[in-house]
Amino acid sequence: MEEELISVKNSAISFVIESQSLEDLEEIRLQFLGKNGQLSLLMKKIDKLPKEQKPEVGQLANEIKNAIKQALEDQRSKIKDQKSKVTKEKIDITAPGIKPSLGHLHLITQAIEEISSIFEHIGFKRVRYPEIEWDYYAFEALNFPKDHPARDDWETFFIAQKPDPEKGPAILTPHTSSGQIREMEKTAPPIRMLNIAKCYRRQSDISHGPMFHQFEGLVIDQDISITHLKGTLDYFVKSYFGGKRVSRIRPYHFQFTEPSFEVDITCGVCFGKGCRLCKGGWLELGGAGMVHPNVLKAGNIDSLKYSGFAFGWGVERVLMMKEGIEIDDLRMLYSSNLNFLEQF
Amino acid sequence: MNIKILDSWLREYLKTGSTPEEIAKNLSLTSVSVERVERYGRDFVYDIEVTTNRADLMSVVGIAREASAILPRFDIKASFLSPEQKLPEIPAGKFPIDIKIDSSLVNRICALVMEVKVGSSPDYIKERLEGSGIRSLNNLIDITNYVMREIGHPTHVFDYDRLKTKNLVIRLSKKGERIVTLDKKERILGGGDIVADNGKGEIVDLLGVMGTLNSVVTSATKRILFFVDNNQESHIRKTSMGLGLRTEAAIINEKGVDPELAKDALLRGIELFLKNANGRIISPILDIYPSKKKKHKLSIPEKTINKIIGIKIPLKLSHEFLGRLGFNPVIKGPSIEVTVPSFRSNDVENKEDLVEEIARVYGYHLLPSAIPPLTKAKNYSLDRDEFAFEARAKNALKYWGFTEIYTPSMISEDLLDGPLGEAVTIANPLNQDLVYMRKSLIPSLLLATRENKTRESVKIFEIANVYRKNDPKLPKEILMLGALIKETGLSFYKVKGVVEQLFLDLGIKNSRFSERKEAGEGTDIYLNKDFAGAIEVLEDNLIDFELDFSLLLKYASRRKIYKPIPKFPPVIEDVRISTSAPYEQIVSVIKKHGRLVENVSLIDIYKDKKTFRITYRDPKKNLTTQDVSVDREKIYKALENNLHAQIG
Repeated sequence: MEEELISVKNSAISFVIESQSLEDLEEIRLQFLGKNGQLSLLMKKIDKLPKEQKPEVGQLANEIKNAIKQALEDQRSKIKDQKSKVTKEKIDITAPGIKPSLGHLHLITQAIEEISSIFEHIGFKRVRYPEIEWDYYAFEALNFPKDHPARDDWETFFIAQKPDPEKGPAILTPHTSSGQIREMEKTAPPIRMLNIAKCYRRQSDISHGPMFHQFEGLVIDQDISITHLKGTLDYFVKSYFGGKRVSRIRPYHFQFTEPSFEVDITCGVCFGKGCRLCKGGWLELGGAGMVHPNVLKAGNIDSLKYSGFAFGWGVERVLMMKEGIEIDDLRMLYSSNLNFLEQF
Repeated sequence: MNIKILDSWLREYLKTGSTPEEIAKNLSLTSVSVERVERYGRDFVYDIEVTTNRADLMSVVGIAREASAILPRFDIKASFLSPEQKLPEIPAGKFPIDIKIDSSLVNRICALVMEVKVGSSPDYIKERLEGSGIRSLNNLIDITNYVMREIGHPTHVFDYDRLKTKNLVIRLSKKGERIVTLDKKERILGGGDIVADNGKGEIVDLLGVMGTLNSVVTSATKRILFFVDNNQESHIRKTSMGLGLRTEAAIINEKGVDPELAKDALLRGIELFLKNANGRIISPILDIYPSKKKKHKLSIPEKTINKIIGIKIPLKLSHEFLGRLGFNPVIKGPSIEVTVPSFRSNDVENKEDLVEEIARVYGYHLLPSAIPPLTKAKNYSLDRDEFAFEARAKNALKYWGFTEIYTPSMISEDLLDGPLGEAVTIANPLNQDLVYMRKSLIPSLLLATRENKTRESVKIFEIANVYRKNDPKLPKEILMLGALIKETGLSFYKVKGVVEQLFLDLGIKNSRFSERKEAGEGTDIYLNKDFAGAIEVLEDNLIDFELDFSLLLKYASRRKIYKPIPKFPPVIEDVRISTSAPYEQIVSVIKKHGRLVENVSLIDIYKDKKTFRITYRDPKKNLTTQDVSVDREKIYKALENNLHAQIG
């Protein structure tokens, strides 16, 4: 008797699991649990069993009945679920999603972040120094002669206030190099400074604006040589512009470095072959050089023990030399036209 | 400064089999940047950028000397054909013009008088000048320009017969003196210009910059005063920039020309006047040379050379390079001693300058590359890294839909808030739009909004310095964050929410919003007792805020505090409270009178009706209905009594 009950249960449950529709399920229910269903018929036989077997078999039969009911119920909801999914509207995966808000960081911010992160990876520390600066930090301590053209009011903006008796007139700093002496005053060597800041010059054309940004690197330690300057420039150029671009240094002249260099990189259009956009395959990146001993002296650093190199380049300039960002007028970067700003 | 010279001219002083392209490329790598070399008829033209320290290279002879020094380094044979001037036959006697100089203005003057015939120049001179970008005028003027470009020293010719007195007094101009320059323009001098006066107060030359119309040669000129003046360079620049007269002569003169070249230029000029202008010398040579420079000697040890360059360069090689550059080097033990040539005396002053000469001729391109070793590292704290917090704030705003703008620090009077006298002012502005250093970012943001007026919605921000007077110290620079929203249906609470979330993300916990001190709708914001900025409701759909970001940085923190997660469930109830009392008061009453209140939040606001969600919790046990109702009673009573609130 028990065996019969268990086999009815097994076959009922396997029917249930295989069923695909509510109609099938109803049929299975009738087949097993209906008035003349297989289980119902078996249960009627229980009465005819000897008294002592009745309770045990009866209990088993009830459990089986419940198990089948439960299986039917589970399967019913499963089928219903599937059915409801199928009948739901089909999603159009090509339609646009509902987007969270997303604004835009300015290209200059993006460039500054990238430049900072490249130099931080080789131990440079970012600093911030005044934009309105004494002549002393911008020129005098950087070995500029008194009558140097950069110090006159055709090239540099002067602030209408009395000059400091020791540090001279207040000006808008024309370069981040004014941070060199500030850094030396604050920090004993070794120094690895990255100064990124706004600079100002009395100029305005398609490649120069009265306000722009520079990034200045300064390294001072024992035994710093031209090879270290070259290595650092190469590292930056490859990191920022990509492995296909190559850098070179050429002789140049700056008051506060000796030797001084102009740094070029291969053109992003012709990769050094020479084209209409470049000077024989090369583009000028900016200046660099070995820190002049007079500058170390002004910064109270022993030039016999320490040497260093420095470079200062335009953020806008490196940005505009990057592949894909061939903006032909630098002043565009300072426009507030959202049609422009939202591209980045 | 750029000069253009023809290849054929260069080769008069440079003997080499090298091609123009090779010369250009190798000069660029080791000396001056040749920006272009192009065909020019049957010739080639070099366009060369000369750095300000190398006035000696503003000439054909200078470039030839330099090329001859560097080409052998590239295994190219080259030699410098030094200009040789034969001294012509000079009549004896007294110089016919009395020239008085001031040695603080003039380093040297070489001059002589000739009879000449005006005409046109031979074709080769015309071609070479035109290749250099200089217009050919007549043989006399052309010779002065030809000599300037070839030798590198500017020169001048007067019409001798138009100099009415035979006196020239070299002096500084007085402010307001008027002259007519040879381009026929009247110019009012600013004072401090070097001029030649004819002894009667009439100016007959603006030295080193441009001649004057009253003494210039004409088609009727018969006799000339050929005049080579070497002047104090700082005066020249002032005059040239002040008058906007950027002549070739001024550009060279302001860099400081080697006075030794004055005589070379004079002799070369004489030779050309004799040849091309039927010249005849009718005076002795005048040579006034008050400030002849001493020869400068320098010595440098091999060790220093190697230390700066970073590789070992044999002393013999350094000796070879310096020799070809004209430094007359001598090896003395472990050092090398040189005599700086006169044409480099402005530029080579110390050991480092010599290292540059050696390193560049060796070839920067041949030096290896190395990252400098990190010998020591200072401690780093992300919690004190203001750049990291700035980036964090910018990114937060970006992800909340704001677009960042960069606008000029200098503004016009129109964009300035408050009295003009309080603003940091530029003494020499470029134009009237860029006169004052801004005191606030908001006017710039408003301008940007107007520039996008077709947009229905604008959400922009900028982080930049503003400037405050701080005489006699440098002006204060304060980093500010300004933002502006223009949007239909904008509310004050939307903008306040941005500020609150920003504080939350920067770990700033001590903010306080209070009534505005200035007129207008909005709120002032404080961090502790420090004023941190304000939210301004400008129009219904236009609200801005500006925060002192440097103050925010002071309080910004990455510190996080862990609180154990509660073990027992809360009871949460919503209650609608009608009162004119502000939110902050309501919350404080609820918190004060509810012993079990864990949190109160505002979930809806409609006029004076505010719906609050109150969370009750006992950290030690499950709450019973009884526990909560005791608290609730107390809270409601306090709200009714203290704030005249209606509940429900």
